[in-house]
Amino acid sequence: LNAAPGRAPRQRVRFLPAPDGGGATGLVATRVPVLADHPLVRGPRLRRLKIGAGHRLDVKASGVFVLGLGHGNKLLTDLYNCHLTKVYTVGGLFGKATDDFSDTGKLVEKTTFDHITREKLERIVAVIQGANHKALLMHSNIDMKTQEAYELAVKGLIRPMGKSPPIITAVRCLQFALPEFQLEIHCLHETQQYLRKIVHEIGLELKSSAVCTQVRRIRDGVFTLDDALLRTQWNLQSIQNAIRDCQLRVKTELEKTL
Amino acid sequence: AGAMWGALRGVRRPPAALRRGLAKAAGPRSARQLREAEEAAPVFQYVGKAAKRKDRVFVWGFCYSGALGIPSFVKPDVGWKKPRRIQPTPYRLETEEKISSAACGYGFTLLSSNTTDITKVWGMGLNKDSQLGFQRSRRDRAKGYEYVLEPSPIPLPLEKPQQTRVLQVSCGRAHSLILTDSEGVFTMGNNAYGQCGRKVVEDETYSESHLIHQLKEFDSRVVQVVCGQDHSLFRTKKGAVYACGWGADGQTGLGHYNITSVPTKLRGDIAGVNIIQVSSYGDCCLAVSDEGDVFGWGNSEYLQLASVTETTQVNVPRHLPFKIGKIKEAACGGTGNIVLTEEGNVFVWGYGILGKGPNLIETAVPEMIPPSLFGWSDFNPDIRVAHVRCGLGHFAALTNRGELFVWGKNLRGCLGTGRMEDQYFPWRVTVPGEVVDVACGVDHMVSMVKSF
Repeated sequence: LNAAPGRAPRQRVRFLPAPDGGGATGLVATRVPVLADHPLVRGPRLRRLKIGAGHRLDVKASGVFVLGLGHGNKLLTDLYNCHLTKVYTVGGLFGKATDDFSDTGKLVEKTTFDHITREKLERIVAVIQGANHKALLMHSNIDMKTQEAYELAVKGLIRPMGKSPPIITAVRCLQFALPEFQLEIHCLHETQQYLRKIVHEIGLELKSSAVCTQVRRIRDGVFTLDDALLRTQWNLQSIQNAIRDCQLRVKTELEKTL
Repeated sequence: AGAMWGALRGVRRPPAALRRGLAKAAGPRSARQLREAEEAAPVFQYVGKAAKRKDRVFVWGFCYSGALGIPSFVKPDVGWKKPRRIQPTPYRLETEEKISSAACGYGFTLLSSNTTDITKVWGMGLNKDSQLGFQRSRRDRAKGYEYVLEPSPIPLPLEKPQQTRVLQVSCGRAHSLILTDSEGVFTMGNNAYGQCGRKVVEDETYSESHLIHQLKEFDSRVVQVVCGQDHSLFRTKKGAVYACGWGADGQTGLGHYNITSVPTKLRGDIAGVNIIQVSSYGDCCLAVSDEGDVFGWGNSEYLQLASVTETTQVNVPRHLPFKIGKIKEAACGGTGNIVLTEEGNVFVWGYGILGKGPNLIETAVPEMIPPSLFGWSDFNPDIRVAHVRCGLGHFAALTNRGELFVWGKNLRGCLGTGRMEDQYFPWRVTVPGEVVDVACGVDHMVSMVKSF
């Protein structure tokens, strides 16, 4: 960034003595560059960058991680106040239960799992959705007796606009091959450990046990996997392109919500 | 240890066999050790492949009448506990048999099972008009109980008690009907208006009565019985509807406003029509034909039948010309009605809290409740409402995923949402299981649930 050509130095009009006619009191107005703008005086333009992080991502999890640069930090706060949902793909494994709900933890119990069918899993998933939908309506702090609450509920736009416990708005079973399964979870205000706990509780509810093998965030508000930069793309050009591409989307989303 | 012994001079060292080596250092176990320990761990089996889902009954609502069937709510078993007035969330009722049909009346409940055992029907709640039969008191063998606090068997005078099965039960304000597969319909309770299908006896005392009347004379086998507030409706296999009881609002549909004490066939717009479902709970009645048409008669003070007539009492069944699609199921409440169409849409009309927000108080034309309120969304496009039920002031809907939604007037906690406020749009009731059927009463509800 510092190697890129910077701003041209400011020019100032100074009255300098005329080059010819030594000793004569002739002053000529000339434009001279201001010395204070000289690169050797000023130094590199950028010494530090203010980078802020968006929603937290665990060490064991992977996926989209939003960072803000400079003015983007303020946009990050606004995006946080929009309370948009995040989408995760969560992979689980039946038959084991560990102390930290992931497959790298200390083993607590092993159980059989051959009685589990996709239909039973979908039933449990439907119950989780139902209970969380109820929590969504309750934490949104809207008076249920108003016509406005009814209209928002019909459109599905009721959501908590303040602090709330983790709420799952939608779950879907993507893959099911005993003992592994994969779920797609849309949630609000959650942590990845909470999602691992949900996998553990699904295992308990199915009268077996489950551990979480993979948590991958595939969407964070307006940012999806396609916008995310891979490790090989962490260079200036791709970062600049990425910022430019999502500027418009972020602006429209903020205007829509706030 | 060897060094220690060496330091103590003059002390005899123990023989080599007893000398212990230095214990191994307890460092972190290697990955191979962890894997081996995991594989060696025992596997627990909680449930096998052939595990069956259990059937459970959940109750909630007003407790003091004993209609919930849990005696400790009314008479606590521990001295310091206080009697519970309202059970605001679903509470499990332990039953010995699998309950196939339940009905809630005005302060009492009937549960029935389609077993061939001797005991097929249990009742609890108010028994001041013997709507639960004669419940012999244990203290005084000649008297009966006025309030029955736990599900007590109702002895039926069956000819073949070990072969007949009870198909369905229904409860009204102070009377109840029990439908069997081969021995007709049994009626008990108040008969002041002939609602039990027998002749009205002047000054009859209904409390502590042993009388259970049996009705057999219909054109074909009775397949559904429905109790209104003080009248009874019977639907036969051939598609005909019979009625008896109080008729001042025209709810018997027989063309007059007097009481009827013998079940009589209804005519009017349903003559010759094959009716597949009848419903009533207050003073209005609805019938659904096999072609998806709906017919109504009875009280119309709350605009229930205002789409065909301006009169407030209709005593002949009238066809209701609604253009909302083929109707699958209908339910009548005290002041509002609800129907379910073949596509799975729910329509409400009448008066009261209808389920479309606080602004919709009354309508004569059915209004659809948006399916998104029942959990339908782009993520779950195949959620449909499977059944609709009606209590006196509230409605219930069951989806095909086994979720129960309620809305309406929350009289003494009958909605089961855990709050005491009225609910103006469909709200989920959290029940630990898949709800198979629900029965709505005035101030309590009973649901039959399959465990996960």
